[in-house]
Amino acid sequence: MKELLRDLGLNVRIFFQGAYLSYLALFAWIRPPHYIATKVVGPVFYMIFFVLMGAYVAGRNDPSFYVIGNAMQTAALSGVFGVSMSIDGDRWGGTLIYLFGSPANRLALFLGRAFMHILDGVFGVIIALGWGLLIFGLDLSQTHLPALALTILITVFSTAGMGLMLGCLGLITRNVMLVNNTIFFLLFVFSGANVEIGSLPGWAQAVSSIIPLTRGIAAARLLIGGESLAAVGPLLWGEFLVGAAYAAIGFLMFRQFEIIAIRRGTLEAF
Amino acid sequence: MKRLTQLRRHLRVILVAAEMSLRNNLTDGFVIFGIVIQPMIIALMAFWMLRDQGPDDIIYIVVGSGMTGLWTTTLFIGGQAISGERWTGTLEMLVATPAPLHIVVIGKTLANVLQSLSAMVATYALAGLVFGALPTIARPGWFALALLLTVPAYVSFALIIAPLFVLNPEVRRLQNGLEFPVYILSGFLFPIALLPGWTTPLSYILPPYWAARALHGASSGGDVADILFSMAMMMLSILIYGLLTARLFRRILYKARVEATLVRQ
Amino acid sequence: MGAEAIPDVHGHAGRPPSSCRPIVHCPFVAFYEVCFNFRMNTIEVQDLRRVYNASIGAIRRSRKEIVAVDGISFHIEQGELFGLLGPNGVGKTTTVKMLTTMLIPTSGRIRILGLDVVKDAKKLRPRIGFIFGGERGLYWRLSGVDNLRYFGSLYHLDPDATRKRIPKLLEMVGLSDRGEEKVEGYSRGMKQRLHIARALLHDPEVLFLDEPTLGLDPVGARDLRVIIRNLQAENKTILLTTHYMFEADALCQRIAVINKGKIVAEGSPAQLKSIVSDLSVIEVEIFGGVDDRLPALRALPAVDALSIENREQKQVLLIQSPAGAEAVSTILKLLDGVRVGKVAVREPTLEDAYIRLVEGEA
Repeated sequence: MKELLRDLGLNVRIFFQGAYLSYLALFAWIRPPHYIATKVVGPVFYMIFFVLMGAYVAGRNDPSFYVIGNAMQTAALSGVFGVSMSIDGDRWGGTLIYLFGSPANRLALFLGRAFMHILDGVFGVIIALGWGLLIFGLDLSQTHLPALALTILITVFSTAGMGLMLGCLGLITRNVMLVNNTIFFLLFVFSGANVEIGSLPGWAQAVSSIIPLTRGIAAARLLIGGESLAAVGPLLWGEFLVGAAYAAIGFLMFRQFEIIAIRRGTLEAF
Repeated sequence: MKRLTQLRRHLRVILVAAEMSLRNNLTDGFVIFGIVIQPMIIALMAFWMLRDQGPDDIIYIVVGSGMTGLWTTTLFIGGQAISGERWTGTLEMLVATPAPLHIVVIGKTLANVLQSLSAMVATYALAGLVFGALPTIARPGWFALALLLTVPAYVSFALIIAPLFVLNPEVRRLQNGLEFPVYILSGFLFPIALLPGWTTPLSYILPPYWAARALHGASSGGDVADILFSMAMMMLSILIYGLLTARLFRRILYKARVEATLVRQ
Repeated sequence: MGAEAIPDVHGHAGRPPSSCRPIVHCPFVAFYEVCFNFRMNTIEVQDLRRVYNASIGAIRRSRKEIVAVDGISFHIEQGELFGLLGPNGVGKTTTVKMLTTMLIPTSGRIRILGLDVVKDAKKLRPRIGFIFGGERGLYWRLSGVDNLRYFGSLYHLDPDATRKRIPKLLEMVGLSDRGEEKVEGYSRGMKQRLHIARALLHDPEVLFLDEPTLGLDPVGARDLRVIIRNLQAENKTILLTTHYMFEADALCQRIAVINKGKIVAEGSPAQLKSIVSDLSVIEVEIFGGVDDRLPALRALPAVDALSIENREQKQVLLIQSPAGAEAVSTILKLLDGVRVGKVAVREPTLEDAYIRLVEGEA
């Protein structure tokens, strides 16, 4: 029992150390102005773009549909880009070999990378919703705010799950940024942030149902529309499970990568 | 006579720089994304948004999303036309040659702009795939003419951005934040009439705005007088930005030699 | 491989043989040269100084001035191979960058081929060529031939002449069979040699070679030295920087030793060696640490300079001493208790002169 507790303490430390280090590494190359540009100012522009495009192209004069969709989409900025880069960054920094050389618990190591980005993502979504309030008069008067906060947290978690997987994919393929950018923009289309899921062709709806964000966005729209937490419960569970599934796939890939890399001696190479 | 040789030399530099830039970019993942994938995804989204409404504006979306790709490549690839060379250590080699740097950059960005026009062709084909029929261009002759002017208009704009990014690294860091504002201000996928009035002057100084106005007008069957006017404005912007370019380049090159920033240490 | 094997791009049939220095038939210049004992040099550097503003610290930035080149003067005659010798980070590269118009001097003056490097940069650039050591500065996604073709047009060379010249240049640098491959697949030495081909494309009169053999394996470095010697046979004026003594000794007619931004000695290799001609060099092989003995050794009157070289499992103490063989017994006495191998006394080399110059400054 005592040993178990000690192990737990150790793993918690590894978790937070990983979290802290991966965030520190991020800020080594992103300076505050750049951070503000992508995090605070960036989302407002793509929100405006899609609201107006929706108004003109789809003839939908209801900005809140796009405001909520795109605010939630900012979760993927931290979840997909932040998390995957923090895993891939290790390889470029040449530090991966030391991690694999350490006896640290792999799961704690792995999840630690995502932790700070999840906090950061929640912050990003809140800022984006703030823009919605300011510019497009988003109405939160009917909203159960704690439930909305939970929805945001779960949604960011599920995008981070995908980010963990993409990061591992990045360890195998060379072009992480190409993969990340493509996924990020595909999420714009398939998550229902900008297009009603119901109006997508059947195959596209199938894609929507297995990616993060879709259920989170739907839940956020319902909550802001005045629904209760109980009503969106199934959506939230679904969102959580999708994220967990991606994280699990990512973790398996991470382990597999470690085994293959050590066998072939290609930790830093390919 | 001397002028003529000079001109011939410059043209040759432009052509070879464009050729080498094309070869260099062909396998670059980021370039492929900016040029093809991102505009295709935006177009696909717009097509599906359109489904709610009806297929009247398909050509508008084809042109508009193609233009987003054009701007993205201009911003990211054209914008790095000089700073990228600094990363690879080739800027010093370029500066050492008698070819003026801005002539080299014209060649490079020309290649990028021509390359990203392929996005428009790709979205055109995508429209055919989604809707089962290729959309028609209302005034093909005017469209071709406008396209012919769009290329130098974007190139001249890139020629201003590239040295600005070198001159001020802080501006370059904001690069990510400059992508969507220009999508909005240029009226690629919705008219700028939807924007508040105070932003209109900002649109007017952007060559992409005049390009979008001319191309949308020609493809959707707009007023010929307006197409002509937009084309004249593109020419004016090419002239103004062209004149600024040579000065800017002289300034950044001198500054780089004083501050020892021709190469990244 | 020879001088006249390469057709030049300006359309001249050939070049004057290397023994023939151009004679200036200008009475004034002749008068000037006689009166002031002054030759028209290809490169003249006067009181050259360069200060960098460095910012230190990532968060709280503070500015600091670093003097990289501190008032150096030298000249290089037409057709000469001149070496700038010194350890890493003492201002060699900064000097070369100023000479090649890539960097503006803080103060001082440089004239190359009678042109001022700052004011006449544009006129000068087509007449000089340079390589900076290392792998950068090439387009890795392009082939070697494409890299050369690109620079050919940037130098406004005639396309047909360039097309004919490229294979000759590739042959000269030993890349004939790899020219069509992308540069990213080249070894470091191949990239270096491609750089030389690029620098020679426009047939420059003056060449600057900054650490050309840096990071090359011994065979690659030797091949490169053969190429450099051939270039000199073509009567090009060459400035070479290096921190390898034997390289400077083997190639250069004159050498300036630079340390901490200043020239500490200048002359032919023989002249530099004469700095240590009064000395002998005692080499003592040792196994195991001797750090605790060094202060005592250095304090000996018979020891002028001392350095340590690491060779496989052993170390070699290099001691410069005016006393020669007579000092050996005193030295060995101080090394009592250390496992000592071979002991030899030899004539000083250029390297010893260099060690003395650089150590003397330190």
